[in-house]
Amino acid sequence: MSIYEISSVLYSTAISTRIRETAGVIPTTQSLHILAIAVVVGSALVTDLRLAGVLATDESPQTVIRRYLPWMWTALGVLLATGTILAVGEPNRVLANPVFWSKMALVLLAFGLTLLFRYPLLHPEFGRTHARWAALAKPTAWVSLVVWIAVIYCGRWIAYAI
Amino acid sequence: MTWASFLQSLYDSPVGSGIRESSVLFPWIESTHVLMATTVVGTIAIVDLRLMGYASHRKGARQLILDLLPFTWAAFALAAITGALLFTSNAPNYVANAPYVSKMIALLLAGINMAIFHLTAYRQIGQWNEALPPPWGVRLAGATSLTLWIVIVFLGRLIGFTIG
Repeated sequence: MSIYEISSVLYSTAISTRIRETAGVIPTTQSLHILAIAVVVGSALVTDLRLAGVLATDESPQTVIRRYLPWMWTALGVLLATGTILAVGEPNRVLANPVFWSKMALVLLAFGLTLLFRYPLLHPEFGRTHARWAALAKPTAWVSLVVWIAVIYCGRWIAYAI
Repeated sequence: MTWASFLQSLYDSPVGSGIRESSVLFPWIESTHVLMATTVVGTIAIVDLRLMGYASHRKGARQLILDLLPFTWAAFALAAITGALLFTSNAPNYVANAPYVSKMIALLLAGINMAIFHLTAYRQIGQWNEALPPPWGVRLAGATSLTLWIVIVFLGRLIGFTIG
């Protein structure tokens, strides 16, 4: 079954039609998606800039990470939920769209970097027992910011690449 | 020159036409606008939540505001510039669009709210800097700001769905 066939089948389901044809569902879901993006951007900006040594250097990295990581995970949950609603409602918009899949890959990369380079820092001994890994926190903070920016551009570009 | 002819002149201008007719410029400018808007809302949310009494990454409200507001302002400036460019590409239709007009009003209200806060409660921040919860006027300013910015996001998205 090709991606186009899968998309067609999904498009003709009751749930997909409901989402698409109920007034206000798509714009509201998209707006919630954008608000969750804002939460990720705010959290990532403060965390990554702290790790890069640019912002709030009078607070420990652990304090900053601990404060914003829960917000990022909650926002990710909202993004996945709203994203699923949008994809189910308009599968023709995303499933055969290379920009959408690029965005998904970048999202995995960004959250992967978060997992690999943030969580270990929360452990008090980590900086000493894994000095080389900990030293990568600063450059990956900058990489992480760039990846998030790329995610947002891809997100908007989905509409232009249908 | 009438208002209508001014809007039309923006639409017909090289900048406006160039953006409107390019398959590359409009997407890039619009995406940048969205990126800047999420940065504004994301950083303002941290400050507004702190004003409403939710702890941030530091205790003092004043240092938090000093930490974050430069980023908020830089992002807002870029959002305003990209917004102005988008506006020129379709000026008459935006002015006739209810969500667009409402969004501009909401932005104005957010600005007024911020000005009032900075001219009153912020002047006495020494008294409530580490207070959790802060005084009620501060909490109101934060809640008003956050609510307006959330509304602005919804209205912004609605423009795309309703523009003529």
